[in-house]
Amino acid sequence: MSDFAKLVGAEGPVTVVGGRTRWHVGGEVRPDAREVHAPSGVVSYDPAEMTVTVRAGTTTTELTTTLNEASQRCALPERGGTVGGSVVIGENHPEVLGRGWLTSSVLQVTYISAEGKLIRGGGPTVKNVSGFDLPRLVVGSLGTLGLVEEVILRTNPIPPRSQWVESHDADPFAVASRVLRPSAVLWNGASTRVLLEGHAPDVAASLNSLTAIGAWSEVDGSFELPQHRWSLQPAELNGCSGTFVASIGVGTVWRDEPQPRPALSPSVIEISTRMKNNFDPTGRLNPGRSAF
Amino acid sequence: MDLGIDPDQLGTCVQCGLCLSSCPTYRVTGDETFSPRGRIALMRQVQLHDAPLTTEVTEAFDTCIQCLGCEPACPSVVPYGHFIESTRNALTEHRGSRRRAIALWPLTKPRLLRLGSSLLAVAQRLRLVPARLGLPNQLPLRRRPHRSSGTDVYLFTGCVMDAWQREVHFATQRVLEAAGFGVTPTGDAAGCCGALHTHAGLAAHGERLTQSIDAALDPAIPVIVNSAGCGAHLKQHSSHQIFDAQEFLAEHLDHLPDVTPLEVNVAVQDPCHLRHVQRAHLPTRTLLRKYVSAVTELDDDGLCCGAGGAYSVLQPDMSQQVRERKLASINRVQPEVVASANPGCSMHLSAAGVKTEHPMVLVDRALAANSSTT
Amino acid sequence: MTTADDALLADLKRVLGDRVRADSAERALLRRDASVFDGGSAGPTCLCESTEEVQRVVRIALAHGRSVVPRGAGTGLAGGAIPLGAPVIISLSRMNRILEVDTDSRIAWVEPGVVNLDLTKHLTPLGYHFAPDPSSQQVCTIGGNVGNNSGGPHCLAYGVTNAHILAIEVVLADGEIVTLGGLDAEPSGYDLRGVFIGGEGMLGITTKVAVRITPNPPSVRTLLLSFDTPRDAAATVSAVIAAGIVPAAMEVMDQRITIAVENYVNVGYPRDAGAVLLAEVDGLPDGVDIDAQRISDIGRQHGATDVRQAASDEERMLLWKGRKTAFGAVAQIAPNYYLHDTVVPRSKLADTLEEVYRIADEHDLAVVNVFHAGDGNLHPLLLFNGQEPGIYDRVHAAGAKIVEASLAAGGVLSGEHGIGVEKQPYMHQMFSEDDLDHQERLRHAFDPACRSNPGKVIPVGHSCADIQSLRNVPEEVWG
Repeated sequence: MSDFAKLVGAEGPVTVVGGRTRWHVGGEVRPDAREVHAPSGVVSYDPAEMTVTVRAGTTTTELTTTLNEASQRCALPERGGTVGGSVVIGENHPEVLGRGWLTSSVLQVTYISAEGKLIRGGGPTVKNVSGFDLPRLVVGSLGTLGLVEEVILRTNPIPPRSQWVESHDADPFAVASRVLRPSAVLWNGASTRVLLEGHAPDVAASLNSLTAIGAWSEVDGSFELPQHRWSLQPAELNGCSGTFVASIGVGTVWRDEPQPRPALSPSVIEISTRMKNNFDPTGRLNPGRSAF
Repeated sequence: MDLGIDPDQLGTCVQCGLCLSSCPTYRVTGDETFSPRGRIALMRQVQLHDAPLTTEVTEAFDTCIQCLGCEPACPSVVPYGHFIESTRNALTEHRGSRRRAIALWPLTKPRLLRLGSSLLAVAQRLRLVPARLGLPNQLPLRRRPHRSSGTDVYLFTGCVMDAWQREVHFATQRVLEAAGFGVTPTGDAAGCCGALHTHAGLAAHGERLTQSIDAALDPAIPVIVNSAGCGAHLKQHSSHQIFDAQEFLAEHLDHLPDVTPLEVNVAVQDPCHLRHVQRAHLPTRTLLRKYVSAVTELDDDGLCCGAGGAYSVLQPDMSQQVRERKLASINRVQPEVVASANPGCSMHLSAAGVKTEHPMVLVDRALAANSSTT
Repeated sequence: MTTADDALLADLKRVLGDRVRADSAERALLRRDASVFDGGSAGPTCLCESTEEVQRVVRIALAHGRSVVPRGAGTGLAGGAIPLGAPVIISLSRMNRILEVDTDSRIAWVEPGVVNLDLTKHLTPLGYHFAPDPSSQQVCTIGGNVGNNSGGPHCLAYGVTNAHILAIEVVLADGEIVTLGGLDAEPSGYDLRGVFIGGEGMLGITTKVAVRITPNPPSVRTLLLSFDTPRDAAATVSAVIAAGIVPAAMEVMDQRITIAVENYVNVGYPRDAGAVLLAEVDGLPDGVDIDAQRISDIGRQHGATDVRQAASDEERMLLWKGRKTAFGAVAQIAPNYYLHDTVVPRSKLADTLEEVYRIADEHDLAVVNVFHAGDGNLHPLLLFNGQEPGIYDRVHAAGAKIVEASLAAGGVLSGEHGIGVEKQPYMHQMFSEDDLDHQERLRHAFDPACRSNPGKVIPVGHSCADIQSLRNVPEEVWG
């Protein structure tokens, strides 16, 4: 039994604390819940395998530093906080088109169950369909089904060149027809910023191709993103107004105010409720917080 | 019941299912008893495990169009064509073959066939023949006689086609002559090739007909066939040098005059016996590209049109369902004309209102238009 | 047929008319899929045409105490579609319409019976494709791809099916219709969509799918590298990944299979090479040239005896046709094959391969290897003649050893074929009792009564009590 499993135990309300960067997502944890911290540290990292095994309590900053030393990166958003926190929140990187979807990048999860047992789901390889997909269930679960101890993540090489460019007159929705694989297309209503990545000549060619729809200049990075994420359909983004940054082609919009929680269908709620009850019959994991 | 299939060969199907989507009857039914994998499994049940010949089992075998679209799709190279032919023969023997033999008997009597066709032509003009039967629009009342122009090649004229679509033979002969070949039409000297008999489970009968053709013709002279079904059968069963007309002419493209192509958008419909059996469907394109302004491909990977020789008469429901798919594919590309190198296919499509022409007719027309303008 | 069957059949016929089949011919066929397993037992087959029909059939089956098994093209290789306990088979092959394509949002709504390659062909004129490309893509269906979380050669760069599905309409085992996931960026709640994919039909029946469509890359370079040994080819694959290149695909074939493939496609695969590596890069013209050059350099450093680049699209298509029909081409070598599917870390490829050859030798079986090397996804094919007495025992034993060797190398049971009944007995080797218990809990959230495709994936002793009797099947179904 792992130390973390002993810490979590099998009884009494418990909540796991990461960097508290998204502490309020999914509701307030009941005050009687005992706070625990997941272990930290990179367990093993083989850049040639393009996977990293990392403990949940590791900060995303530390993980990023480790990966960058080998010219690699991963799909986790680099916004502070811990690896475990990021995984159970399930937010994608703002450059998701270049980084890949977080849910696809979590290869294996090890978590402590409500009964205090160590459970492993998924597998260490980049491709795996062995049994039901517990990693997908844990991503975005807000720690309501199990408390993550360790994950294996897929990593990716950092492209030889990354360049943000900005235009004040280009139609952000026309970028996709000009650039094969933009890593990000962000729009704040007034201007558009595009992240071009790849081999230097490809980045230059893409930039050149973009000039057909507007004037572009190189900029240092992305927009400052407002705090709250909204999840919309890509087709709905042209209706955005006020203060916002929208990820074109993805559907994420950053705003100053939080998105009202969308209503889920009764059937989805039914499955989700059964899921929660099956995994945490006594409701001791992060009580008060709900993923649905 | 012994279906006469080599048990070792019957074992070569590993039921991977890669044949399913090339099978027209599976495509329209979604039912695996109507797929090659399913039919082979049933053949095994019947031959190796003595399963009874229930209605469902015989239906599975009877509904196979024998297009053989499954053969090129099979990476294990299972000889499905042999399997189904053998199965059909065994079934025919089992059920008695008289009715089918009688139905096909006129094919072997060219004069009678032509007389009957002329009567049909009269009936057509009196509007007594429903269009859905799929007969050519205006069956000829009278036919000009064949004329020989040399002995470089034979033009195989066959049975039904000679009675109903002799104009296609004339067109083919003119094109061959334009390429510099002297042509002898085989006429009544070599009648029915026996393909329909073999198809219907009367293999021995078909074999006899093919042999009489071989006996009547000089083996040194290549035989040009412009009906894909006959060509396929003769290539498999005759000892002579058999060529599909387009295949032969595409090989001699440089012999043919350069002319202004016809202004027409042609979609190519590949007869199964040309594409899957002869595997000689590409020359049609080579030839047509030279003589028409636009050659369009259908998007259904050469899936059968449902004609299948006598199939459209024996299995009208399935035949029409399969044709619906082909019509949808034709509608998606909207050609002015569909070129089909098999009389059965073109009649089957015409009956559904599609304008069809034999590729040879289109080439002939391009050549004629040119000679009249220059 | 019993009276109970008659009553069930009568109810089904009221909904579907003659689209229900229960004759002996149909039942004999649908007992199997494309795997080597036999011994299933099929109830009536329902050729459904709409979500509502699926729902009504599921409810009728439920009312008669029967389970249901969804079926697409039946090309699964792990026995996932084999009916256990005479369930009602719900065939989705007639639900094959492409409902909507939206190139602005890069989404297509399709029915589950749409054939994978038909979808890509439909998208080709629009400049898009559906990225997962299993070797059976000419026949396998999107519903089946969802059920198995299918892969394919090009999943190396593009990701497996899970990365290309946005939303799924499902008929649950109790007949409820539910949509999992959504078209928005990060649908809220548990990722039930992600969980459902790869559920092997045990979480419900897919009736409609929103797939992501991928723009076709303007440039593609396909390289064929020849090596003296499979070890050199595998080492090259590891080195390419280590160099930070993520090709669109990296496939290896050993000598015997290469010769068989060349006999079929005749495109110039070398007959004298110990192994070949088919590597593809796609993207913009300059970048693909850079990567192609780097791959060929790395290949030469690792012993490539020849590096050839496909000169035309036709040549490229033929090279791929060879690779994708490789499994069938083995019929030239032996009448039967058993295709295995395990994954190992890419750095362990070369060692595991040698172990696979050794195991085959030890069991006096021929083996050929053709695999998604870039993912570390091995596909050893054990070749044999099924007529030989006792042969299936030997094949089974060798298969078990291959699984053991892959797990010992830090790998997993299956990369893309799934568990079905095939790998069920091995689940204990990869997962603890507690792990399996949690997988079962996940399943029960969707299907508490175990009515959807029962008897698969989770091994004996982990199931709903009422279907315990199904569980001893895998051991007996060989051959």
